[in-house]
Amino acid sequence: MKNKILIGTAGILAAFSIYSCKPKAPEDATTGDAASRVYVAPGKYDEFYNLVSGGFNGQLSVYGIPSGRLIKILPVFSVFPENGYGYSEETKPMLNTSHGFVPWDDLHHVAISTTKGEHDGRWVFANGNNTPRVARISLSSFRTEEILEIPNSGGNHSSPFITENTEYVIAGTRFSIPMGNKDVPISSYKENFKGSISFIKVDSSSGRMNIAFQLRTPGFNFDLSRAGKGPSHGWFFFSCYNTEQAYTLLEVNASQKDKDFIMAVNWKKAEEYIAQGKGTIEKANYAHNVYDDKKHSATSTILNEVKVLDITQFPDIVYFIPCPKSPHGTDVDPTGEYIVGSGKLAATMPVFSFTKIQNAIANKEFEGDFSGIPVIKYEAALHGEVKKPGLGPLHTEFDEKGNAYTSMFVSSEIVKWNVKTLEILDRVPTYYSIGHLSVPGGPTKKPHGKYVIAYNKITKDRYLPTGPELTQSAQLYDISGDKMQLLLDFPTTGEPHYAEAIPASLIQAKSLKIYKIEENEHPYAAKGEGQTKVERKGNEVHISMTAIRSHLTPDNIEGVNVGDDVFFHVTNIEQDWDVPHGFAVKGANNAEILIMPGETQTFKWKPLSSGVFPFYCTDFCSALHQEMSGYIRVSPAGSKTPLKFSTGKVENQESGAGK
Amino acid sequence: MKKLKPLSRLLIALSALILISAYFVPLWQIVMWAPQYPEGLTMKIWIDNITGDVNIISALNHYIGMRHIEVSMFPEFGYMIYIVGFVIGFGLLVSILNRRFMLIAYALLLMACGIGALVDFYLWGYDYGHNLDPTAAIIVPGMAYQPPVIGTKQLLNFTAFSGPDIGGWIFMVSAALAIGVLIVEIYLSRKKI
Amino acid sequence: MKNLISLVILGLILVSCGPEKPKTEGESQEHPSGKDAVIENVDEGKGVGQVKEVTLNTPLEQERIPRGKAIYEMKCQACHRLDDQRVVGPGWKDVTKKRKPEWIMNMITNVDVMLDKDAEAQKLLELCLTRMPNQNVSLGDARDVLEFMRQNDGEK
Repeated sequence: MKNKILIGTAGILAAFSIYSCKPKAPEDATTGDAASRVYVAPGKYDEFYNLVSGGFNGQLSVYGIPSGRLIKILPVFSVFPENGYGYSEETKPMLNTSHGFVPWDDLHHVAISTTKGEHDGRWVFANGNNTPRVARISLSSFRTEEILEIPNSGGNHSSPFITENTEYVIAGTRFSIPMGNKDVPISSYKENFKGSISFIKVDSSSGRMNIAFQLRTPGFNFDLSRAGKGPSHGWFFFSCYNTEQAYTLLEVNASQKDKDFIMAVNWKKAEEYIAQGKGTIEKANYAHNVYDDKKHSATSTILNEVKVLDITQFPDIVYFIPCPKSPHGTDVDPTGEYIVGSGKLAATMPVFSFTKIQNAIANKEFEGDFSGIPVIKYEAALHGEVKKPGLGPLHTEFDEKGNAYTSMFVSSEIVKWNVKTLEILDRVPTYYSIGHLSVPGGPTKKPHGKYVIAYNKITKDRYLPTGPELTQSAQLYDISGDKMQLLLDFPTTGEPHYAEAIPASLIQAKSLKIYKIEENEHPYAAKGEGQTKVERKGNEVHISMTAIRSHLTPDNIEGVNVGDDVFFHVTNIEQDWDVPHGFAVKGANNAEILIMPGETQTFKWKPLSSGVFPFYCTDFCSALHQEMSGYIRVSPAGSKTPLKFSTGKVENQESGAGK
Repeated sequence: MKKLKPLSRLLIALSALILISAYFVPLWQIVMWAPQYPEGLTMKIWIDNITGDVNIISALNHYIGMRHIEVSMFPEFGYMIYIVGFVIGFGLLVSILNRRFMLIAYALLLMACGIGALVDFYLWGYDYGHNLDPTAAIIVPGMAYQPPVIGTKQLLNFTAFSGPDIGGWIFMVSAALAIGVLIVEIYLSRKKI
Repeated sequence: MKNLISLVILGLILVSCGPEKPKTEGESQEHPSGKDAVIENVDEGKGVGQVKEVTLNTPLEQERIPRGKAIYEMKCQACHRLDDQRVVGPGWKDVTKKRKPEWIMNMITNVDVMLDKDAEAQKLLELCLTRMPNQNVSLGDARDVLEFMRQNDGEK
């Protein structure tokens, strides 16, 4: 009998253990007053702008922090039918490349411009990972102003990280490829494949970008990078993987070495060589697209050469530092002294010292070379290792108090540690599988601190389900105290990779309200209804149209034939804040266009059948928005219908409207 | 030749017959939770099969060099149906032939099966957790991933639990019945003396 | 007591909800007290805004007229004809005879406040049913437009 009881008890205990070993439920994780700390009352503003990459949506989204509210999506590398980006004649050239019009890209990282290592709130740069490109977005118009294609790159992942005064934006290739689009066997990787890192010079007043020079490197993969700052200003640090030089099944074959490299580049030295006329000019085709906000139009120019420095010929530009297993993030702390390498497959996290790296170079403490480039001894460069930080360390951001925050993909947590003592101070779970993370001002010399935001790779059960395809998600944590506190979950668009947060005070007042109609230099602008017109040039019909609450001029157009190319150049002649007009034509194989006050945008339409087609304003603008419309008559091809246009003119008193 | 009480015979028959359910319900379960798998990943071991999130578990485990879990890894699935069949037959035989020494043998057989299964499971787990692919992407020095035989264990970011499923519990009830009947029989026969 | 409190609150609201006055420029002369001036303005039919007093010269200031015309064509013509026909907004014929110059300039430069506070402006809104948009016209430009209107009304 006793035994029975014993067995029964054991059974119950065992059953109980199934339930008791479940991890702590996420609901318990927020603190009691979290709601009030993220609540931004109606009519009030968020404290920070959060500029978040959209990953595979090719866009940049603007969130408010701490509320986590999505404020706007800015199209960068992808067409955006919502406002006509990539559909209007003016914006189509923005997406031109040496491969022609590429309507999509994978936007991974952002970099807000800095002066003296601190946020200046002028521009934000973004990378196109797939068809290598770098974009510059204005933080006053919040529009993509420039896109530069990167030649000799196999995927622009190690980008667009910037130097302290935004002297350069970096574009490091993810995949090595044969230079000059050469046709070679894939198996000739070691011989023919090269890496390239572009140093893109940024004009300090206009922001215009051009490739100053490219570093040609041995063939392997570049992952991420960060510029030095303060004492390490003049240096750039790149994480490298696949130093095994594998070209197939990288999952296995590029994970074999115990250590890959962090590549330290003395870019000031490279600049000197360039100034001395060193380096070679190589042929390369790449597009440079610039948006002019006076002409309200983009132009795309194909450039055809680039200056190259082969690092194997200039060995004092580059040094390799061994870093455990496939480093992902390489992050420089606000003082510029410490460089954190995050070996995503490694069990420890090395922190290198810039001073020690300099000493090791001076004393030639090398353990050998890789393709002729010196490899610094690991211990000689090492400040110390963070022991057992977590699993799958990816990225590190910093606060203003000397702490670092590292994202752990595999163990799905943020780990806080002290940069100097390397002591782990706190850890919090993320939901789920965090990729990048962001502390406001985290990559600058003067972090603003206060919050850390986790951008996750897996969302699962955090929101109401929406079928197999779910939203992506982010989490906001308060880091003002000793312990990190989860405050908020918020959904994100696309797939968030890196993001930066900047105090609203640095941007808000500069935000553009309208484009001045007086300054509109668009060749087809109708700056006033008196300038509206319809002109035929061969089989092109150009309509200069105005939009103002609540009519379009002209709103009756005749004389267009099937097969013509019809261009509606619509100028919004409003000069008031937040009065955009939209424009669309029935049956057009095109998206709408949105026209901001004072702006001209062009909608191209090739009518395929005859008839009378309505067009209308698509942005609800006023009480008489529904009336803001018109008709265009299309006659069969070859017809001689006279070209006519008008607004408010009633020809036929019998059948027409009005009296 | 000690004989058994009618009730004992009935209970032994019951002990044998409920084992038939082993062919229709899972015997053992392994559940793994991770931060990104709050709902848990479950693997169910049946008499001749493995079901559940086996492919997901295998896909995750391959990063650390563990082998893909497949039915062919377990020769046990080939003969377990016969072993259980033999146990059931033997139990029914005890009930029919009505011999106490046979009951002792039956109880021992059940216990041996249980212990044997656990030992077998431990040996498989040891091999599965230690015999890793040296080319794995993630190699944590000194780390092995042997699953727990029973109970919970932290393996990197996963909390793994191993324990009996319905069939396992039924097996235990069956063994408890046989052993309980045996104890009562011995107790009663000593009282008589 | 309760009444007193509500009076104080009402007073505070009145004080705080007034529009922020833009700084006056050379075109207009300042009145000593802002609040009184507004009321005074309304009474005199000068409208609400920073334009308090406009000096009109005869003959017309010729250099203003082409500038005023250019601004009209760019920012006003879409809604206002030069004859007396109303399209979106009223035609401009004889507007300088019907309205004080201050009212016209305030309507051009401070339209949102005018539509909220000025009875005459509100009557026009009821008639036209479309709020006149703020076209970001500066005081100087508005003065040029006014001169163009005077010319349109036959002044020399």
